[in-house]
Amino acid sequence: MDPVLADRLQFAFTIMFHYLFPIGTMGMAPFVAAYTWKAARDFDEESARIARFLTKIFAINFAAGVVTGIPMEFQFGTNWAAFSRRSGAVVGQPLAMESMFAFFLESVFLGALLYRRRRLPSIFSAWAAVFVCVGSWLSGFFIVATNAWMQHPVGFSIAPDGTIRLENIWALLFSPFLRWQFAHVLTGALVAGGFVVAGVGAYYLLSRREESIGRRLVRAGTIVALVFSLIAIFPTGDDNGRDVTAYQPIKLAAMEGLFETTHGAPLAIIGMPDAAGDHLIDPVFVPDLLSFLAYGNFRANVQGLNAYARELWPPVELTYYAYHVMVGLGTIFVAVAVLAVLLLRFGLLWNSRWMLWILMLMMPFPYIANEAGWTTTEVGRQPWIIYGLMRTAHGPSPTVAAGETVFTLIGFAGMYFLLGVLFLYLVLREIGIGPQEI
Amino acid sequence: MSVAGFIVIAFMLTTYVLLDGYDLGVAVIAPLVARTDRERSVAMASIGPFWNGNEVWLIAAGAALFALFPAAYAASFSGFYLPFVIVLWLLMFRGIALELREHLSSELWHQFWDVAFCASSVLLIFIFGLALGNLLRGVPVNPAGYFQGTFAFLLNPYAALVGCFAVATLAMHGAAFASMRIEGELGARALELLGQIWWAVLVFYVAVTALTIAMRTPLTAWWLIALPALSLLALLGARYNAQKLRPTATFAMSCVFVAVLLAASAATIFPYLLPGFPARSSGISIFQPPPSAVALSCALVVTLVGIVAVSIYSPIVWRRMAGKIRVE
Repeated sequence: MDPVLADRLQFAFTIMFHYLFPIGTMGMAPFVAAYTWKAARDFDEESARIARFLTKIFAINFAAGVVTGIPMEFQFGTNWAAFSRRSGAVVGQPLAMESMFAFFLESVFLGALLYRRRRLPSIFSAWAAVFVCVGSWLSGFFIVATNAWMQHPVGFSIAPDGTIRLENIWALLFSPFLRWQFAHVLTGALVAGGFVVAGVGAYYLLSRREESIGRRLVRAGTIVALVFSLIAIFPTGDDNGRDVTAYQPIKLAAMEGLFETTHGAPLAIIGMPDAAGDHLIDPVFVPDLLSFLAYGNFRANVQGLNAYARELWPPVELTYYAYHVMVGLGTIFVAVAVLAVLLLRFGLLWNSRWMLWILMLMMPFPYIANEAGWTTTEVGRQPWIIYGLMRTAHGPSPTVAAGETVFTLIGFAGMYFLLGVLFLYLVLREIGIGPQEI
Repeated sequence: MSVAGFIVIAFMLTTYVLLDGYDLGVAVIAPLVARTDRERSVAMASIGPFWNGNEVWLIAAGAALFALFPAAYAASFSGFYLPFVIVLWLLMFRGIALELREHLSSELWHQFWDVAFCASSVLLIFIFGLALGNLLRGVPVNPAGYFQGTFAFLLNPYAALVGCFAVATLAMHGAAFASMRIEGELGARALELLGQIWWAVLVFYVAVTALTIAMRTPLTAWWLIALPALSLLALLGARYNAQKLRPTATFAMSCVFVAVLLAASAATIFPYLLPGFPARSSGISIFQPPPSAVALSCALVVTLVGIVAVSIYSPIVWRRMAGKIRVE
């Protein structure tokens, strides 16, 4: 196998599997913190039950995130040594910040949150939950900071030997690309958190048990899902898209399946890109909309893929489909959340079993949308590992052969299969047991 | 500033070994001291709230190495490719074992994870020791700044001996922690076991120290003698306190022993991060290739601020979880 492909497959597989868990951590942490606070402040038994129940699921999720996260931190060195050697002085900084400022916070305070002696959580536990939440969001921030730099490098210079030198860390942390990318990533996780909490609540209501808790979970979950699925589209998704337009026009063209440079470019709602034949097969277009979304002007000129040399194109099909899956699901999330919140507002939700079914079945889809969004970002960045600076093909470790990478990829696949089965089993089991008496 | 970077990395790795060392050590001795299923649960519970935070020190040390000395990070992790990926698998497997054991009350489930937990911990310590042994011995770094650590090269008798030394030492360290943390008979048994492991530690200590000194002669500085001597004192102190049934003092002495040994190792390879092999051929040092000043200062500020913050809040949290646990 081509060594670069082997390394890319391994990274894609391990990061996509790993990322399932941070979505849950970032999305559920505020719920854990909120219920723990309420229980500690108001001595509310039911909130304490919810808090303990969510904390259990959170802890399983967190542990899976930690064990799958360790390889991520080190894969830069094991598989991408040339990339690390060249850019570590920059890329290493936000990763070091993540460990020092976020990981310690998360893990130390999660230990404190889980180690509980009294019936009701203390104010100390409530603070611990808040710190866990802050830690998980900070962790996300520094990771996205690393990625945003690879998407749009800033604050660096290039040494005579080609090494990339850090010039200004603040430029990296306040990069224009980072702001909206992080906001969008966090929003995506909160949409997932909202739908998971609502889905679990809907399950209890449908099974006619723990109905009081079920209603509270559905209410909180759907409201959070509604707010953040709207924010995911505007402003965070919109502005992130504008940054892509400004800094990575080829990626935009691939995302939208736009081959020819067009004044008043249409937005393709569906259609299958034929990269060899340079057109979309069987498309449905909304005229001029892409120009408006990208530039705020219906007649604006949008660069198509054909304006660039083919060797600079990202894999068009994957970028296009991943982006359309994300956007399509995002639209469905808004529709479902609006409907659920309307039913809730008019007191009809508890009797609308069909809606509760929909809410329960929604649970996996925010995960798919989050993964699809990252696939768009990362596949769309190709052929660059650092946009405009370093090709992905020049990144892998010179001393590691493709055969070794294939072996470790198989190993990771086996390990993650085991982990995935155990994770699902344990989480579903906890949901089956439900919030216990305290 | 490069020297400060070296010290920071050495400090973080030492902290990692002291902290994760005790939970790895508890895993090694658990089957030897805990006789019933309930006792094994208690042994695991003694490290339950801590292991995750302890492991973060390894991740943090890796990230700090990445930011401070990217060339050494790239060369060492790609050079030790397979051993390193195996370490990752073992770390994952061990984490899974720790987290999953208590989720089902089936005895078979417990037995499986007990064995998995112990075996993965022993292997992990051995590989960490193997890596340390190879660092002390040097690795064949090529002019481009990379090396290929084949198993034939890495599995040399010296490094294997350091690996065994590491297993014995951390078993002792874990026994000291267990006796400090667990009340009653189980804690007492751990302290008793410590007295037996101690002899193995002593034998390995003498062998490894003698070989290392022989390999690195002539000794260039007085502290290359002073540090091993100091560690021997700490080792004797651990035994003395164990016999006086003072678990906390025993654990403290064990910490000193491990820390001083690691300081001696760091002093031996300084200023190299990856010494060359054979001895005195060029490796990757903290000066070569020249690190960038802005990156070094940034990473130093980040790690130092982080270390200070963690040193403030971790003990506060730990105090809340302090005290003994017991078999009920």
